[in-house]
Amino acid sequence: MSQLGQVAGILGKLNNEYQTTTPKKLKLIDAYLVYVLLTGIVQFAYCLLVGTFPFNSFLSGFISTVGCFILGASLRIQLNKANQSTFNVSPERAFADFVFAHVILHLVVVNFIG
Amino acid sequence: MTSPSLTLTLLVVLPIFSWCILPAVGTTLSLANLNGLKSQFQTGLKSTADLPSLHYSLAGAKELGTQSPETFCNDIKKLVDKSNAESIYHATEAAKTLNTCKLSAEDFRSTVSSTIQSDKSTTAEIYYAVHASINLGLSVDASAVEKRLNALAKTDDSILSQGYALLTAAQLSSAIAKTYADTINDLVQQADEVDGHLLQYEGGISTTALVFNAFYEVAEKAGAPVKIDPKQLVKFANYFSTKRHVATLRSAYYLTKAFKYLSNNKNTVAVVVSRLSSSEVNAQNPSVVVSVTNLLGQSVGEMTVTAESAKRKEDGVVVVSKQKLTSKSSDFTVYELSFFDKKIPRGFYTIHLTLTPRTNGDFVGLTDNTINVKVTSEAVLENAELSVADRDNAAQVKTFKLTYPTALSGNVEVDYHQKLIVKFQVKAKQTDEFLRVQQAFLRLANKKSNKEVIYLAEAATGADAQYKVEVDLTTNANDFLHQSGAYEVALLVGDASLQTGFSWKLTDNLQLSFHEDNVPDTDHLNLYSAKPEIVHQFREDEKRPPATVSLVFSALTALPLLILLILWFTIGANFSGLPLGLSPLGFHISHGAVFALMYFYWKYLDMFQTMRYLALVSIPLFLFGHRLLATLAARREKKA
Repeated sequence: MSQLGQVAGILGKLNNEYQTTTPKKLKLIDAYLVYVLLTGIVQFAYCLLVGTFPFNSFLSGFISTVGCFILGASLRIQLNKANQSTFNVSPERAFADFVFAHVILHLVVVNFIG
Repeated sequence: MTSPSLTLTLLVVLPIFSWCILPAVGTTLSLANLNGLKSQFQTGLKSTADLPSLHYSLAGAKELGTQSPETFCNDIKKLVDKSNAESIYHATEAAKTLNTCKLSAEDFRSTVSSTIQSDKSTTAEIYYAVHASINLGLSVDASAVEKRLNALAKTDDSILSQGYALLTAAQLSSAIAKTYADTINDLVQQADEVDGHLLQYEGGISTTALVFNAFYEVAEKAGAPVKIDPKQLVKFANYFSTKRHVATLRSAYYLTKAFKYLSNNKNTVAVVVSRLSSSEVNAQNPSVVVSVTNLLGQSVGEMTVTAESAKRKEDGVVVVSKQKLTSKSSDFTVYELSFFDKKIPRGFYTIHLTLTPRTNGDFVGLTDNTINVKVTSEAVLENAELSVADRDNAAQVKTFKLTYPTALSGNVEVDYHQKLIVKFQVKAKQTDEFLRVQQAFLRLANKKSNKEVIYLAEAATGADAQYKVEVDLTTNANDFLHQSGAYEVALLVGDASLQTGFSWKLTDNLQLSFHEDNVPDTDHLNLYSAKPEIVHQFREDEKRPPATVSLVFSALTALPLLILLILWFTIGANFSGLPLGLSPLGFHISHGAVFALMYFYWKYLDMFQTMRYLALVSIPLFLFGHRLLATLAARREKKA
């Protein structure tokens, strides 16, 4: 019981920290990431439920969510001012890369979706 | 199941052809195939296009006693090639076989002398030139030829070359021939032994026969007998007698000459012992008759022929020991051994014969002669009975006693809950012992469809050897394809050492009733008719979930989008900060166009078209995006 309480306490503290310290831009991206994650979970649940037919469509959809998640995460890393030392790119450049990569990702996904 | 004719053939043929299963034993010489050789030469004479063939055919026919017509002389003169020593040799030899054919020496003098003197001539060519010169009456310098032969012997030591050297020496003086005759033993040592009882030279029959001839020719010229060890001579003779058919006329000619040398009383003669009587010895033909001749089938003078032993193959029992054979013909070629005795057990026997000559002369092949015979006996079928018994209750049996060869009269009915049993014994007539035979079958044939089933009768262990065969109508129903009806029953008994076999029709009318319906009969012809067509089966689609489930989940997938918008709203996206103007508008329109393109790609387009459109759309996308981001960057700079 005490363990559970400890975990709850930690989580609450984490949440507080997050809400206060994270800039708005990053929070928006985080929301986007949650959205992508949820979509992926729904797709996976469907596959588990009714089987893998048609397999290529399932794969393409799932990989699409994974790809979007990764691109979103990388955008977040690049925009995070705390990482300015390692990634020295302007936010606009990061966003442009994000869009460009997405175009390619979607091209491949739609090709594979069948 | 075998066809009826096959079983009968087996019964009849097995006693006769059981002989074939016996392997050849010993080093028995066999008679030369004179008829084959004669016809080969006759056929050779018909095609007169080739001078060597003509020569060998004429000479071979003459060796075997046929004189050919003089008309061949014209063919010889037409075919001879004046510039070739070999051709001249063949022509002169062929002319020698005819009575009035003379070839003029002047036409050929230059060719033969130049061949003899040339450094490049092979031993064969020297032989052809020398022999042709002798035939034409031209003089030959014997010492020069001898020098040439010695020189050639150093460069060419093949067997054939040595053979030709001997043949050439046989045409020169007898002193030279004597020197060469002394080398015969060395040459014999160079022969290859095959299987321990054949001697041959590399090159097969043509080389071996030629070299063998050379031995005799050169020894004849030297005036001395051929000195070949008898053990090796008999191996050569064995080799020649295995050649029943030779491919070329040349080999046939030299082979004929070899046979004649081996049958000539002046030399060592090879003796051939062969069986004249039939291979089966029984009460009707009780003796074994053999012929003792040379390879050509001629008499070799009086001989004492003794049967050293007659051993039975199965157990080595010796039934005859040192029994003399009696001469039956005046030319001492036929001898008889009375072999059959009631007490000799049936079986396959090998008789070993040795010969002792009563005349002066050298012989080979006097020992190690074997004759294979088979002693058969008669048998009777005894105590035959046919019974019908219940499958379950062995006590309920109806038995019919049978005597060979009468068949059972009247009907016999067997039901599906009964079984048919046939019992019999085979007894040897003379010795009254019960035998085990090689074939004991019960054959049932359906009278309507003529199809048959054959069952094997097995003998019980013990001295009484009772044969029994059982047909159970339920367990064996499949053999009959469940076809009820009238059947003919026959008993087939046979053995290699029985004089005759038995085929006994036990009953003509056996009614069999089976439990189930007929199994459809496989028509043999149907096996080869067209088979049903195979239609390609496409892979079946996998199971899909019902449409509602898919739609529900599609909706569920779209749900997080709503959640996203709500979240963005709560976090406080700066929607008011959206720039307005051409660039942002252009950017958003291009971006939307890309998504629209993706939709069209999914639905209608292929990759190449999409790539082209994408390239088109990405130009404004890049331009407007760049401008928009520059604006945003400027705005950020301004704020900072």
